[in-house]
Amino acid sequence: MQNVYTVKQVNAYIKNMFTQDYMLGRIYVKGEVSNCKYHTSGHIYFSLKDESGTIACVMFAGQRGGLSFRMSEGQQVIVMGAVNVYERSGSYQLYAKEIRLDGEGVLYEKFQMLKHELEEMGMFASEYKKPIPDYAQRIGVVTAPTGAAVRDIMNIARRRNPYVQLILYPAQVQGEGAKESIVRGIRMLQQAGVDVMIVGRGGGSIEDLWAFNEEEVARAIFDCPVPVISAVGHETDTTIADYVADLRAPTPSAAAELAVYDYRKLSGELAEAKVRLSRLMRQKIQMERLRTREYQTKLKYLHPEHKLREQQQWLSDMEDRLRAFMQSKLMEARHRLAVNVETMKGLSPVGKLNQGYSYVQSTAGRAVKTIRDVKKDDRLSIYVTDGIIRAVVDEVKEEEHG
Amino acid sequence: MAKAEKERKDQTLNEIFGELEEVIKGLEAEDVSLEDSFRLYHSGMDMLKRCSDKVDKIEKQMLVLDEEGETHDF
Repeated sequence: MQNVYTVKQVNAYIKNMFTQDYMLGRIYVKGEVSNCKYHTSGHIYFSLKDESGTIACVMFAGQRGGLSFRMSEGQQVIVMGAVNVYERSGSYQLYAKEIRLDGEGVLYEKFQMLKHELEEMGMFASEYKKPIPDYAQRIGVVTAPTGAAVRDIMNIARRRNPYVQLILYPAQVQGEGAKESIVRGIRMLQQAGVDVMIVGRGGGSIEDLWAFNEEEVARAIFDCPVPVISAVGHETDTTIADYVADLRAPTPSAAAELAVYDYRKLSGELAEAKVRLSRLMRQKIQMERLRTREYQTKLKYLHPEHKLREQQQWLSDMEDRLRAFMQSKLMEARHRLAVNVETMKGLSPVGKLNQGYSYVQSTAGRAVKTIRDVKKDDRLSIYVTDGIIRAVVDEVKEEEHG
Repeated sequence: MAKAEKERKDQTLNEIFGELEEVIKGLEAEDVSLEDSFRLYHSGMDMLKRCSDKVDKIEKQMLVLDEEGETHDF
């Protein structure tokens, strides 16, 4: 008897075979959608079928980012995912990571390869991204001369700022020769001298947008010294041109918004700056005026007139003191004089005459003090209190007074 | 002088705005003299005028570039 295995063992063995298989780990499978069920849990259960048979598929809720459309019965799709075993039912199924509508499949793969390659080369690196000028005056546009994209750009430019110059290079954006036309447009506009350029087109299928996934276009954008804004299709379409451009706009309208500065905003800012400058200047003048006034007050206080008045006051005080001092000195002197006069009066010879004495003077005007001063018949003047007596010497006789 | 004149002409709006910010900062400073204030104010006003002049206010129609690099009306 051969070895007997449990179901679990067999299923595990088979699962391991699937898991170890390199190809089954990442595989693209195309077919028609059938039995599609969107479960409330977010998982999607469906089958892929072709004329030969079917394969069960599941896309878990966590992988839903890989699906950008609503799947429905009968669609031709390409599913990328891993084939593995579902042990509970002993069946294998395709665990989907990405689902795309077929027709895009080949292109999608090409897209992924080129994207990977250019990314490796650093062409998407942020250090190569040139800033978009804030106030571009000349704006180049590489797009089809007919269609919504150019109209949208024109309308938005006119609304935001009719003073900027738009220059269109009428490019062929799809079909044979599109990539050459776009590359030529970028170079021509670069030569024409623009501040920024918009490269893009309106929405379309992946085939329609394909020119913007070509390496030549990517390189032309990368090499362009003028900043490039990409604007391809709708928000959900991302092309190689978008990755390599200096700025990606989701739509041509959005690109125009980014490239054309708002004139009203600018003039508002200018007006505001003007008001601010004037206000600052007024404040400054006001401040200086205040300071001047302050100095004025200070100066007035320090004026010489003020000092002069003070000194005048002092002077007049001094004068008063001087006068008073002088007055008292004078009084004192006068008083002393009166005292002296009294003293003198006491000592006066006239006083003596009052007491019966008299003063005798010779003709020569000398006081007669001895008999030798006179001789007989000399004339004499005798002074008494109330006048002079003229006399003649009658006799001179010596007498001894002891 | 002629060179400076040319450089001024080549200034972008952004560069002028940058200078304008500096001027305003200067005016806001406490210790700037009245003379300097006047000088700053006039240069600020001059910058504003240059900003306005930068935008040549003629409405423009879209031009189309041909293969020879000539432009035509759209």
